[in-house]
Amino acid sequence: MVKKKIAKVLAFRYKILATILVLLAGGLVLLPKYQRHEGIKPEELLSNTISPERYITTDQLAHKIINQDPSFILIDVRDEKSFASYTLPNAINIPLPKLFEEDSDSYLNQNQYDVVLFSNDNFNADQAWILCNRLGYKNMRVLKGGINQWFTTIINPLKPAENMPAADFELYATRKAAGMFFGVVYPDQVKVEAPEKTKEAPKKVITIEKKKKAAAEGGC
Amino acid sequence: MGPLIPNGVIPIEWDNIIAILIGIVFGFVLEASGFSSSRKLAGVFYGYDFAVLKVFFTAALVAVIGVYYMDYLGYLDINQLYVHPLYLWGAIIGGVIMGVGFVAGGFCPGTSLCAVAIGKIDAIVYVGGIMVGIFIFSELYPLFQPIYEGYFYGNVTLEDSLGINPYWFVFIFSIIAIVAFVISDMVRKKTKKIFY
Amino acid sequence: MKELEKTKRISIAATLFILAVIIGLLTYKRPKNTYANNTKDTLEKITGENYFITLNELNNPDYVLIDVRNQYEFEKGHLENAINIYAAEILSDDNSKVFNELKDNGKTAVLYGNNPQEVNPPFLILYQLGYTNMKLLAVENSYVQNKLITIKSDIEKPEADVAAFINESMKIANTKPIVKTTAPPKKVITVQKKKKAAAEGGC
Repeated sequence: MVKKKIAKVLAFRYKILATILVLLAGGLVLLPKYQRHEGIKPEELLSNTISPERYITTDQLAHKIINQDPSFILIDVRDEKSFASYTLPNAINIPLPKLFEEDSDSYLNQNQYDVVLFSNDNFNADQAWILCNRLGYKNMRVLKGGINQWFTTIINPLKPAENMPAADFELYATRKAAGMFFGVVYPDQVKVEAPEKTKEAPKKVITIEKKKKAAAEGGC
Repeated sequence: MGPLIPNGVIPIEWDNIIAILIGIVFGFVLEASGFSSSRKLAGVFYGYDFAVLKVFFTAALVAVIGVYYMDYLGYLDINQLYVHPLYLWGAIIGGVIMGVGFVAGGFCPGTSLCAVAIGKIDAIVYVGGIMVGIFIFSELYPLFQPIYEGYFYGNVTLEDSLGINPYWFVFIFSIIAIVAFVISDMVRKKTKKIFY
Repeated sequence: MKELEKTKRISIAATLFILAVIIGLLTYKRPKNTYANNTKDTLEKITGENYFITLNELNNPDYVLIDVRNQYEFEKGHLENAINIYAAEILSDDNSKVFNELKDNGKTAVLYGNNPQEVNPPFLILYQLGYTNMKLLAVENSYVQNKLITIKSDIEKPEADVAAFINESMKIANTKPIVKTTAPPKKVITVQKKKKAAAEGGC
């Protein structure tokens, strides 16, 4: 008996399937539309931004530049004018308003290099970092304290007082040496050394390969 | 989350393995649904068997509805999917040639290989013909190049070029499909039954 | 009999299809917090509009002060009438309620912390979530003898002209000026354009 009933229902099986498909397609039209969810979850973004992992200190950065570390690129998010007046060696200028322009994308959205963002302090660089992090860009760092910190630590380090521990003097000597690499000349240093060193600033040639999106190709 | 490969969920190195797995399943389904029979394939043209039309139309319909639902629910980003580039006249001329070959030979390239696998002689001849065709095309490539690479419109979809709402398009498309099924059934009932 | 077998196959396929649809819809959970502004709009807003507030402008009845530092620091000292919402907890249910209430009442939430840099992440995230009634108080807070000192803070103001300083240092040292320091070597960057895969495939 049951079998007969099932057979009766199944006689309409194509009609039933057709109705389901039309209903589903109609559902698409009727569904409420909302803003497309872009990027990672807000909770994830919050925990990423709260953690200080993204920061790189000026000392670390100076060390990297002096050792000609090829694994990173510097990106200056200040405006063109500040960029023209002073910037870090080999930095690329992407002013914050132009962060999402086509040209910037190939520098930011890649996994070949570490990207170090900096601005005058780390406020604008942080903003750029947060927006990029939401989009899931990898390998982004922020220079802690930005150019101001760079100035007070590397370019013009504060001479430690007499009663400070020896470590401070060591740090001061390192920073002074780093400062000389970046063009500062100290009167008490041997004159010949400083300018020669600056000339060695690495001329990097960076080729950024665009991440190739796998293209699924069709055919039946 | 998706699409899986462009987003790195499945590493790109798995491409070939996945291709083989999908190929096996696809070939099995083609053979199981009887698509390795040239009479069944040509049946659409002569009006005694619309299985091909129904199968491919249904597949497209299910896929398009599924993709849009997954996109809506956030499982899949529709903008990252591969869109085949449009070479307008190349596609039209190629489509006509292929259609003629389809009816005359009773296979499309995929199903012909399927039929070779089960040992059909006509399919073997057909595949031989494909090879000859490829050879001629490659030899005369400079001649065909303007058509092959010309009239390029980019990776466009109907949604881009006509500017219609994709959701409405899916709805209309599904209605067209079902109307086509009904009509094809009516045509089939009217034509003489052929046993094959 | 043969007809029945065929039926079975189609029925199984259909059942599986419907099951997949139902499972997909049932397991779907709308995320609690969703972005209301995309990154492009947010970028436009943070580069175009002024969302900073200075201490002098605080005397507005529509402003509600929110302290994003942790509870300990908040209790040690905070600005008058401030609410404490720790930056890491801005997305919790209770705090979302607070922000929603402020938005519905047409109030403006003014966030502050130890320094503007610290307030930046919660401010930006809340803005992207659609709380557009946000302002950022440009102050720095510090303690002198356990008393909260609030001073005005300049955001993104260059503290010194580095290029000038370097040139100056060279003048003092009496070395020949080096032009190079002001013009860092230009990098040659070649960006490979994305290559579209060749057309392929077919039935």
